[in-house]
Amino acid sequence: MRLAVLVVLPVLAQCLLQGCSSTAPREQAPPVIDKGQPAPVQQSESTAAVTVPVQTRPYVPPPLPSQETPVVRSQPPAVVALLDHAEQQANAGELESAAASLERAIRIDPRNPVLWYHLATVRLSQGESVQAEQLAAKSNSLAAGNRTQQAKNWRLIAQARREQNNTGGAAAAEQRARELDPR
Amino acid sequence: MAKRRKRGRKKARRKVARRRSVWGWLFVFLAILMAGYIVWLDYQVRHQFAGKRWSLPARVYARPLELYAGLEVSSEQFLSELRALHYRPVITPQAPGQFSRNGNVFHLLSRPFDFWDGQEAGRDLLVTFSGNRIAKLSAGNSRQAVSLARLDPVLVGSFYPAHNEDRVLLQLDAVPVSLTDALIAIEDRGFYSHLGVAPQAILRALLVNIRAGGVVQGGSTLTQQLVKNFFLSSERSLVRKANEAIMALLVEWHYNKDEILEAYLNEVYLGQDGNRAIHGFGLASYFYFERPLTELSVEQYALLVGLVKGPSYYNPRRHPERARARRNLVLDVMAELELITPEEAARAKARKLGVSSFKRKAINTFPAFLDLVRRRLQRDYRDEDITSEGLRIFTTLDPQAQWQLEQVLEKRLKVLETGRKLKAGTLEAAAVVTSVQGGEVLALAGGRNPKFAGFNRALDAQRQVGSLLKPAVYLTALEQPQRYTLATLLDDSPVTYTARNGDQWEPRNYDKKNHGDVPLYQALAHSYNVSTARLGLELGIESIIKTLRRLGVKQHLNPYPSLVLGAAEMSPLQVTRMYQTFASGGFRTPLRAINAVLAADNAPLQRYPLSVHAAIEQAPNYLITTAMRYAVREGTGRGIYQTLPGSQDIAGKTGTTDDLRDSWFAGFTGDRLGVVWIGRDDNQSTGLTGSTGALRVWRDLFVHFANPVPIQAAVEDIEYRWIDPKTGFLADAGCPDAVQLPFSTGSAPVQHAPCVKADQGITGKPPAAGQGKRSSPGPVDWFKELFE
Repeated sequence: MRLAVLVVLPVLAQCLLQGCSSTAPREQAPPVIDKGQPAPVQQSESTAAVTVPVQTRPYVPPPLPSQETPVVRSQPPAVVALLDHAEQQANAGELESAAASLERAIRIDPRNPVLWYHLATVRLSQGESVQAEQLAAKSNSLAAGNRTQQAKNWRLIAQARREQNNTGGAAAAEQRARELDPR
Repeated sequence: MAKRRKRGRKKARRKVARRRSVWGWLFVFLAILMAGYIVWLDYQVRHQFAGKRWSLPARVYARPLELYAGLEVSSEQFLSELRALHYRPVITPQAPGQFSRNGNVFHLLSRPFDFWDGQEAGRDLLVTFSGNRIAKLSAGNSRQAVSLARLDPVLVGSFYPAHNEDRVLLQLDAVPVSLTDALIAIEDRGFYSHLGVAPQAILRALLVNIRAGGVVQGGSTLTQQLVKNFFLSSERSLVRKANEAIMALLVEWHYNKDEILEAYLNEVYLGQDGNRAIHGFGLASYFYFERPLTELSVEQYALLVGLVKGPSYYNPRRHPERARARRNLVLDVMAELELITPEEAARAKARKLGVSSFKRKAINTFPAFLDLVRRRLQRDYRDEDITSEGLRIFTTLDPQAQWQLEQVLEKRLKVLETGRKLKAGTLEAAAVVTSVQGGEVLALAGGRNPKFAGFNRALDAQRQVGSLLKPAVYLTALEQPQRYTLATLLDDSPVTYTARNGDQWEPRNYDKKNHGDVPLYQALAHSYNVSTARLGLELGIESIIKTLRRLGVKQHLNPYPSLVLGAAEMSPLQVTRMYQTFASGGFRTPLRAINAVLAADNAPLQRYPLSVHAAIEQAPNYLITTAMRYAVREGTGRGIYQTLPGSQDIAGKTGTTDDLRDSWFAGFTGDRLGVVWIGRDDNQSTGLTGSTGALRVWRDLFVHFANPVPIQAAVEDIEYRWIDPKTGFLADAGCPDAVQLPFSTGSAPVQHAPCVKADQGITGKPPAAGQGKRSSPGPVDWFKELFE
C-alpha cells in the first residue's frame, strides 16, 4: 500500500513544479457587486429588452467556470516545498509525518484538491480506508471542473471501498472514474 | 558464708558482663539504625536522581507562524509576532532571536525549534513586505528565494502542578560554558576535585570574603547546595547539616560531576513570580531577560550567577543597585580567574542590567483557550501527567486572531453598553474563530475580560440559539429539490397551532408583520418566524433533528414545534461546530484546538489529525450558503457591509431570543468562521438583537480578516436562473426586481413570470413540481402528523 504513496507523490510533485495541463480551476472571482449595472440576462436579447434598464439585486453570485476549460493553477512554492517534504517522509516510511506536512500545506492552501487527495493517499497507506474515502470526497468537492483530479479521487475511493469489503460501492466508484477519465 | 560470697562475686561479674553486652548491643543497634538511615538516604538520593527529578509543567504553544511569499500578514502583525517571541531588535542580527528592520524589509535570525515533524533549523532570513502581505522571502546571506520557513511558536501557557513549581529544563551540553564557569568560580571552585564536601573550601571562602570585604562565597559545595534544594527543608540545624553532608557524599558516590552540575543548574532557586517559584537557570533566563539562556551575554550570566546567593536580596527588579554590585563582583572574580579578559570585564560592567520590565503576567495569557486545550487533553491523559510530565502541546491558536478578538470585544461591548445606557460591565460575551476547511480553533473568548480564567462562556454557557437554528430547517427543505428551491414561495400569513394538551403556539415575526408569500431565500434572509414555522412543521420536526445531527449537533433536542425557531440551548462552541459544516462545504470537520503532543524529550506522543466526514451534498450546501449570503446582503445581517467591503464574500445568520436575552451572530468567509454571543450572566434582557449586538463584534473582528477567497468553490450540479421574486418564476430583462439564483440542476422553474414579455419567451408551460407557490396542506393536517 505504501507503494501507492511512493509512486503517486513524486509524479504529482513533479506535475506541480512544471504545471499540469489540467489542474484545478483557479478560485472563482469574488462576487461582483455592481449596483445599477445590469448583469446579462440569460434570455434571448431583443432590442427592447436591452433599452429597458434592469434594476438588479445588489448581490450577483459568480458564474461557474465551464467544465471543460482547464485552467493552469500556479501552486505556491511553499506548497510545492511541503509536497516534496511529504514525499520524502512517505518514502522514508514516516507516514504520519507525511500527513502532518500535508496538513501544513492544507493550512496554507486549504482549497487545493491535490493536497486533500495526497492526504487521502497517505491515510489509505496507513490502512485508514474510511478516512481516505472521506478525504478523497473532500478533494472532489474542491475539484469542480477538474476531471483528471476527480477521476483520481474516484479511483482512490474505489480502492478504499474495496478495503472496506464494499465491492458494489467500489465498482460504482470505478465506473465514475472511467466516465470522468477513460484511459 | 564463703559460698555465699563466692556466689555474690559471680553475680557481680555477670552483672558487668551483662552491662557490657548491653552497650555492645546498643552500639550494634545504633550502627544498624545508622546504616539503615544511610541506606534510606541513599535510596532517596538515587530515587530523586534516577527517577523523575522534577515535575515539569506542560508547555502550550500557539501555531507557529509559517513564512512564505504571498502570506497575508502585515509588517505590523509580523512585528507583534516577533515581540511575542521576544526577538530583539538590533542593528545587525548576529545570533538567533535577533532581527533588524529597514522599512518594509526585516532581517532576522530565527531560532531552531523541535516540532512534531522534526527540527526546524534556525535560519538567516530576509522578509520583504508589500501591502499587507509578504512579497518576498529570501536567505539573508545568499539572497536566494526561500519557499517556506517556520518561526518558533509563541509559548501561550503552561499547566502547572498544584505547587506551582516551574522550570525550563536544560541539558548540560546546551548550557553556555561562560555560565558554568562563572557559577563554579563564585560558588564552588573546587567542584571538580572535592568529594561532595570540602572543608578547605570553607576556609578559602572565609579568605575570599575577607579580601572582598563582604560575603562573596559560601562554604558549601554545589553538591551540598543541590542536596539542600533537593531533599531538605530550609531549617538550619546541625542534624540537617549532617544529613546534607552525608547525602552530598552519597550523591558524589553515585553520580559524576556533569550529572550533578546539570541537576544543580535546573534545581537552583532563582526568583519568585507571585506564587510561581522560578527554579533553574533555564526559566530564570526567560523570567529576567525574556529569552533563552543561549542568547544571553556575559554580564547577564554574571547577574544570574550572582542571584544564587539570594534571589530576593539581589532581586534586580527591586534592588537594581545591589544586583549591579553583585553582578560586577562576579565579573571581577571571572576576570581574576582569567575566564574573561580585564577589558571584557570592564565592558561588561559598564552595561545596563538589561532585565525586562516586570509585568506580573497572568501565567496563562489566554485562559479560555487553554481551558479548551486542557479539557481535550483530559480525554487522553491523567491530570498529573498533564502537569508534571513536561508535555509539549502544539495548539492551533493564532495569536494575531486572538489579540484582535480580545481588543474588539473590549471596545465594542463598552460602546454597546453606552448605546443601551447599561451599567458598565453588564454585558458578557463569548466568541469562537475557526479555520473554515481545517476546523482549527484560532481564537476563543470565554468572556469580555480575556485574562479572567473563570466561567468559560464559549464552552459552558448554554443559551437559547434562536434563529441560528433556521438554516437547518431551510437546508432540510433544500435537500428536496423537487419540492423546494430558493425561489419556492413560502406562506408567511398568521397561524396558530394547538397541541393535543391544548397548548397554543402562535409564532410571530420580529417586526410584528406578516409578509404574505415570500421566496424561500428571503424568508431565511429576513429571518421570518411565521413562514419558517410553517415550513418546519411541513418538513417534520424529526427530519429537522436529523439534519441537525448531520450538521454535528450532539446535545439533547426537544422535538417540539418551537425547535424550528431555535428553542434549543447551545454553547457558542457547539454553534461553531454546526456552522463549521456549512462553512466547509458540507463536510463535518471536528473542531481541533491541539495538533500534536510531544513528550518532554520530543518523542511524539499523539497527533490530533485533520479529519472530515461528508454530511451534506454539495448542491444543497451551496444553496443554503447562498441564502445565508443574502441574509448579510439584504436581510437581517446587512449591517455587515456598513464597514466590510462589498467584495468580501460573507454568509451568516443573526440570532435573537425572547426579550432580547441573547444576541448571536454566526458567519463565515472563504477562510474563517466566527461565532459571537452577547448576553448577560443573569439572563436578563440585553436590549440587543443579533444585528445590533453580536453582528457588530463579528464585523469589527472580520475587518482584520479580509480575504478575497469566495465561500464555496465552484460546485457542479448547480445552475443559475434569473427569477422574479414576486412569483418565484423565471424572469427576464423586463422584470424590475429580477434576481439570479442558483438551483440544483433540473430543479429551476420553467414557467415565466408575468413580467416576461409574451413575445420573448416560451410561455404557457405548466410549472413542474416544486415550482411557484406550493399549495401546502392545511396546518391542522400536518399538526396531526406531528402529534399523533
